Amino acid sequence: MSGRGLDNGFRLLGLLMIGVIVCFLLTPIAVTVTMAFDARAYLGPLPPPALSFRWFEQFFSDDYFLRGLSTSIQLAVASVSVSLCVGVATAFALDRASFLGKEALISLFLSPLIVPPVVTGFALLLFLSHMGLVYGFARLFCGHIIITVPYTIRATLASVAGIDRSLTEAALILGATDRRAFWDVTFPLARTGIVSGAIFAFAVSMDDVAVSIMLTDAKTYTLPIALISSMRANFDLSIAAASVMLMLVTLALILILDKFVGLNRVIGQGVFR
Amino acid sequence: MQPSSETVIEFRNVIKRFGATTAVDGVTFTVGAGETVSLLGPSGCGKTTTLRLISGFEDPEEGIIEIAGESMVGKRPYERNVGLLFQHYALFPHMTVAENVAYGLKHRRWPKAEIADRVGEMLRLVQLKGFEDRSPGQMSGGQQQRVALARVLATRPKLVLLDEPLSALDAKLREELRLELKQILTSVGSTTIVVTHDQNEAMSLADRIIVMNRGRIEQQGTPDEIYMKPRTAFVAAFIGRTNWFHGRIAGASDDGFFRLTTDAGTSLAIPDPGVAGGGKWSVCIRPERMAVTGPDAKIGRSGDNLLPGKVVDVVNMGAEFQYIVDGAEGRVMVVEANREGPRLRTGDRVSLLFRAEDCVVLPQDGA
Repeated sequence: MSGRGLDNGFRLLGLLMIGVIVCFLLTPIAVTVTMAFDARAYLGPLPPPALSFRWFEQFFSDDYFLRGLSTSIQLAVASVSVSLCVGVATAFALDRASFLGKEALISLFLSPLIVPPVVTGFALLLFLSHMGLVYGFARLFCGHIIITVPYTIRATLASVAGIDRSLTEAALILGATDRRAFWDVTFPLARTGIVSGAIFAFAVSMDDVAVSIMLTDAKTYTLPIALISSMRANFDLSIAAASVMLMLVTLALILILDKFVGLNRVIGQGVFR
Repeated sequence: MQPSSETVIEFRNVIKRFGATTAVDGVTFTVGAGETVSLLGPSGCGKTTTLRLISGFEDPEEGIIEIAGESMVGKRPYERNVGLLFQHYALFPHMTVAENVAYGLKHRRWPKAEIADRVGEMLRLVQLKGFEDRSPGQMSGGQQQRVALARVLATRPKLVLLDEPLSALDAKLREELRLELKQILTSVGSTTIVVTHDQNEAMSLADRIIVMNRGRIEQQGTPDEIYMKPRTAFVAAFIGRTNWFHGRIAGASDDGFFRLTTDAGTSLAIPDPGVAGGGKWSVCIRPERMAVTGPDAKIGRSGDNLLPGKVVDVVNMGAEFQYIVDGAEGRVMVVEANREGPRLRTGDRVSLLFRAEDCVVLPQDGA
């Protein structure tokens, strides 16, 4: 292709930018994963001379980490389930209704994204203590619902807003009641958005430190909290192995969703408009 | 299909407001069984709101809407047995073609085997047999609109509503599908209301046209009446191309025609305006009702009008030629079929000949 020198120049620049960003995002992960398989007992220069599963063995023989992982998964599944129901119902209601202050209400629902999580966590700690709720899992459960609901609401709202209103009208005029039209048309078309909201919510729940650190008790703590605590106590590379485990859990979830819903649907929503 | 006397829909003094604007302002019309009626008008004239009132997506503030003699007050869309073809098809993207067509039947609790038969029958009707398992997203616009039509007709609705059915398609396809649409609607004998801003669509599909403007009906009539006997300046200007002459009526002449003295001073023979009175009048004449003659032509018989002028532009439209002629009365457009023979060129001196009977006399707006 001649005469496209400028375009090619731009393309090169674009590719370079993409390359830089990909490196920036992937290098820390690559380093962590490499370190997790490092066979040395100390922190040495990269690359490691030999690889082993020793840190994973240590991770899986460490009750402290395992407990954190198990709590994290239970917590994520429980809180995302609830926040999904709440978020989806709220988003559908908000989409249909039109009233004064609707935008303000949406902002309120999304406010946990803006309020610093430390503040949310601290406020919740005070509030729940006043209420007499001191059981760690229950406190974390409340906290994680609060921080994940904005994601489920927002993702559902975005996908519902993209559904052509004439599709619902077509269902109605063809004989479907309002309820049937919802289950036949609106819900299936919003599903991709709902699923992507759930993935985000799950990742947020698995990953959270700021809110969780306020709400843990001696026996109930999440994996990220366990990582931080053990980093302070005795730094070794089982933390890298734990990080890899955290990534794997999230990755596994995404793959499961891909199997049942189709990740290309979640990402390529354009087809379903 | 001959329209019968049975009234399928009756619209009586219907008013619908949106805030301060009155979208539909006292509209009254009826549509008989088997009839195809077009609601024609510019955007914002209330035609789409009228359609939505019939479908039950909007409720009127005042007036009566009856379908097959039954009042539609408080009836939800799914209780009306009305079919609606959407401008942008509104096919369910997550269902196959067959599932789309079957959707209305499923909600009418047809037995499975009958649904399958009916879906096959409908897809044959719109010439899409074999496309059952396609997804609408894999089809062209024209094919999608056919699927939508099959979906509408499958349930045998009492009334079929078409909302700008062809406007999302490109010009060539639009013409093809228009013919096909007309054949299909005729073959199933459905009662149809076509909402459109496209006069060609209205003229070719409808037995009767209702021209709307600013929430009101300007004129109802056959396509021929609307085109040749427009009753308001709006109708004359909105449908087809028109040449206008403005002036005052000078009175009747001996030959049974009236005379109009234009603002530029020309005296034109016009038909009886019907009502007496001074004031300003407008005369309109369709470009194809004017003939181009030599510059020295003389008036041969009473009721003829001759306007001398000079050709300033010649536009070849393929099937026809448009001549733009400047004369004492300003700029006039003449259309002639593209036939063999000598053609006019820019700069030619000509006379334009037209008959008084072909003129339509209308009181000027605000007069």
